[in-house]
Amino acid sequence: MSVLAYGVVAWLFLYGVVTSRNLIHLVVCLSVAQSATDVLLLEIGYRSGGHAPVFVSLPVHPGPAVDALMQALALTDVVVGATVTALLLALAVQVHKRAGTLDPNELRATRD
Amino acid sequence: MDPIVSTSALIPATVAVPLGGAALMAAFSRLLPRWARDLIAIAVALATATLTLVLTASSAGHPMIYWFAGWRPAGGKVIGVDYAVGPLGAGMASLAAVLASAALVYCWRYFDSARGRHHALVLIFLAASVDFCLTGDLFNLFVAFELVAVTAFALTGYNAGHPAPLQGAINFAVTNSLGGMCVLLGIGFLYARTGTLNLAQIGQTLAGRPASGLTVVAFALLAGGFLVKAAVVPFHFWLPDAYGSAPIPVCVLFAGVMSELGLFAVIRVWATIFSGLPGHPEPRMRAVLLGLGILTALVGAVMALAQTQLKRMLAFLTMSHLGIYLIGAGLLTPLGLAGASLLVIGDGLAKSALFLGVGAVQHQRATVSETKLRGAGRGLAVTGVTIALGALVLADLPPFVSSAGHGLLVAAADQAGLPWLEFVVALCVVLSSGAVLRAAGRIWLGWGDSQVTPPETGTADDPGEEAEDRPDTADTGGERAGREQPGRRQRVPLTMVLPPLALLAIGLGLGLTSGLEEHTAAAAAAFSDRAAYVAAVLGTRGGPVPAAGQVTVPASAGLSAGGVLTDLGQVLAALGVAGLALSGWAAGLRRLLAAGTGWLRHLHSGLVGDQVTWLVAGLALLAALGGWALH
Amino acid sequence: MSRRARLAFFAVAAAALAVTLGVGLAGLPSFGSQITAYAAMLNELAPRQRHVTDVVSAITFDYRGIDTLFEEFILLAAVAGISVLLRPLSDEVRELAEDKAPDRAIPPPSPAVWLLAVLLSSLLALTGLETITHGVLTPGGGFQAGVILASALYVIYLGTNYRTVERYQPDALLEASDGVGAFGYVFIGLLGLLAGEVFLSNVVGLGVTGNMIAGGTIALLNLTVGLEVAGGFAILASEFLDQTAVIRTGRR
Repeated sequence: MSVLAYGVVAWLFLYGVVTSRNLIHLVVCLSVAQSATDVLLLEIGYRSGGHAPVFVSLPVHPGPAVDALMQALALTDVVVGATVTALLLALAVQVHKRAGTLDPNELRATRD
Repeated sequence: MDPIVSTSALIPATVAVPLGGAALMAAFSRLLPRWARDLIAIAVALATATLTLVLTASSAGHPMIYWFAGWRPAGGKVIGVDYAVGPLGAGMASLAAVLASAALVYCWRYFDSARGRHHALVLIFLAASVDFCLTGDLFNLFVAFELVAVTAFALTGYNAGHPAPLQGAINFAVTNSLGGMCVLLGIGFLYARTGTLNLAQIGQTLAGRPASGLTVVAFALLAGGFLVKAAVVPFHFWLPDAYGSAPIPVCVLFAGVMSELGLFAVIRVWATIFSGLPGHPEPRMRAVLLGLGILTALVGAVMALAQTQLKRMLAFLTMSHLGIYLIGAGLLTPLGLAGASLLVIGDGLAKSALFLGVGAVQHQRATVSETKLRGAGRGLAVTGVTIALGALVLADLPPFVSSAGHGLLVAAADQAGLPWLEFVVALCVVLSSGAVLRAAGRIWLGWGDSQVTPPETGTADDPGEEAEDRPDTADTGGERAGREQPGRRQRVPLTMVLPPLALLAIGLGLGLTSGLEEHTAAAAAAFSDRAAYVAAVLGTRGGPVPAAGQVTVPASAGLSAGGVLTDLGQVLAALGVAGLALSGWAAGLRRLLAAGTGWLRHLHSGLVGDQVTWLVAGLALLAALGGWALH
Repeated sequence: MSRRARLAFFAVAAAALAVTLGVGLAGLPSFGSQITAYAAMLNELAPRQRHVTDVVSAITFDYRGIDTLFEEFILLAAVAGISVLLRPLSDEVRELAEDKAPDRAIPPPSPAVWLLAVLLSSLLALTGLETITHGVLTPGGGFQAGVILASALYVIYLGTNYRTVERYQPDALLEASDGVGAFGYVFIGLLGLLAGEVFLSNVVGLGVTGNMIAGGTIALLNLTVGLEVAGGFAILASEFLDQTAVIRTGRR
């Protein structure tokens, strides 16, 4: 059931991206959807009753460890997501200065 | 020693050199004078080009597998990350390096600002493209994908003082980062199913067992994400916005390399992972890919005709040709893939020459609007010749490389029993090249009426680089001075005239190389051979890898009479289209075009909400089509 | 498309996408059932082969080190890109005449806030250094620590006025740190080549498990990445703050 939660979150925030009236809001929706993807990766790597893949100060009968590979992937994706968010925010700052608006529906500079 | 596994330092050097160069430039750009920065960047790019070209030659016999950090597979199970270097991938990487070098030479005068920070970005773009083409690991593919994307977003918005580049960059960034998310999801699903991230091992695990719902969805997500980058309908809406407003040298990189990378990834993923699924999915997948390719090619060609802003016109031309590459590769035969590869190289060189030529015009006349430029070509003769030649090469003028690729494509279509594809391709090529020739005629010969399609295309005219980037405003206090005389300027600098001509010359030289078609066909066959690839990577079969099935290049392809006639016919037709568009019937034709395609132009609204909606729809469509094809 | 048309179209498309995602998610192995054989193998091998206790670090910097190289350059590219996007343009100035008016002097920071900022900044710097060096033992490492170190600088910005601090900001040093950190990763990779092995091979002594200096190149890579990330995020913040606090559009 918990994997479904990710799906719902990403789906909802796609709606946010499509109907957004403010660029900052759009960027945050995108960022949340990205985080939902990361959580799904971690969920794929989870194991019930498992401990973190850090083999120090373990109890006497430690049990299995969770998937460290998915954690490494999620780490990478967090960096990717953060950098794209930062770039988009920089673009939003400049757009606000030059076009005078933050509403993506009001940006008419590249229509056909 | 296993003859396939390589420890040649050449392979990591192809990414270490540009990355190291970019890092040092980013660290010490303040200390270096401007000419030193430009020179070092060009040197690094040329070094990368040399390395990748050598790799292309040395991997021609068999793939070279390079295991990073020394982690070779143990007992058929992969532990580390590998590069699987084949001539097709290395050739694509070489194209990226050559185009990056040309773009950097061009940048010498284009980005004249005191702190040119674009060098590091271009070099990182190059390194990521090389990694993308050479890697054998799915997650590494994703990271390279994102790195190409991040550098591209930043470079698109370079002219941050105008709203159009900013909006183009935003549309680009939002849609492509959603595409990246889809790819990551697909990777997660495939990992959950197969327990590995290595392309060969995923393919081996999935082979033979019927495709589950998870596999189909993973395919849809992976293909969808990569097709966003490749700007295939309906994921393409960001492309004209971004390419129409990015700086010219950046457009060279985009048009020549970036979009093609998306297609490369789709075919790579298909060839290594999904082609082994049971139930003969090829014919149905072929139908899906061909459908998407034809749609993209047609939409691009028609929209290109309707444009009057030169960069946006070239953007749609790029998209149309991408559709043609997808048609070639989507035939899912080595011959079709070989045709598409040669077209990518030849067209990539020609498209870049076109963009650079338009850039020279923009530099001298401070506008890229066809209407405003009517008759303004006086004094820019060489550029005019370059642009006209580039358009003709794109129409498959023999004996340039593009015509060789076109010949292979036609032969492949015939072999697959779909000869009518040739007409679709010819139509698109003729229309898009005709549009460029029409613009050239209007600008240099002053032909055509002065009235252009009402309503004028909405995209803001692009006056080019920021005021502070122009050489005549380098001294302070002259912030606005440069803009007061936008008209006549000195002669076009050599660094803007020579690179496009050099690229066209390379296209001619390659086209005259004998045996080009055979080598490319062999490379394509090796690329598509899943079993041999898996054996090479996993080392499960010692000794030499069985040679890929021989691909015979039919005599009808290449420099045969039939092929040359067809290509010349296309060239003449393109000239004819341009002539018609400049003649007395032009106004009537324009009204006809507007009536028939006004709805299509209206759809390209430049609004990011619309574009994301189309993306979601496209994903769902791909999932349905993928389910039909793979089950 | 009009807003209504877009919404209607999206509703249909999103429903179809929901079905697709549902099918995909349903096909996943049930949550928490087991991890893949590859992951289990790595969990077992890493402490033995690389003398580290944090397997995630081993995967990030050793088994899949080439991925992290490109990830690091994503950050470098983003920082360079933001410097390009937010650079002062020709019609922007850094100071307007009215900013120099006598009654527009910037009030000094409150001593309490300043003290808090200094204390917090020191603590954050210490935490950052601890996270970098213990990356091979416990969760942490270069990326995380770099952000913590950069936030030590952010707290200084918060504790005082940006315009005052901006004068003392070592821009060249931060840029150098960013670039050299990135180059360091490539250099360490090349060490492997020089030692006769493959790029990014772990050719430095591996040390003893449980020590801070263990894992060979893993520890070194942690350091370079931390250097790069700290410099990068510091530049990032200063670029955005420049736009907010310093750069003025000439036209009013």
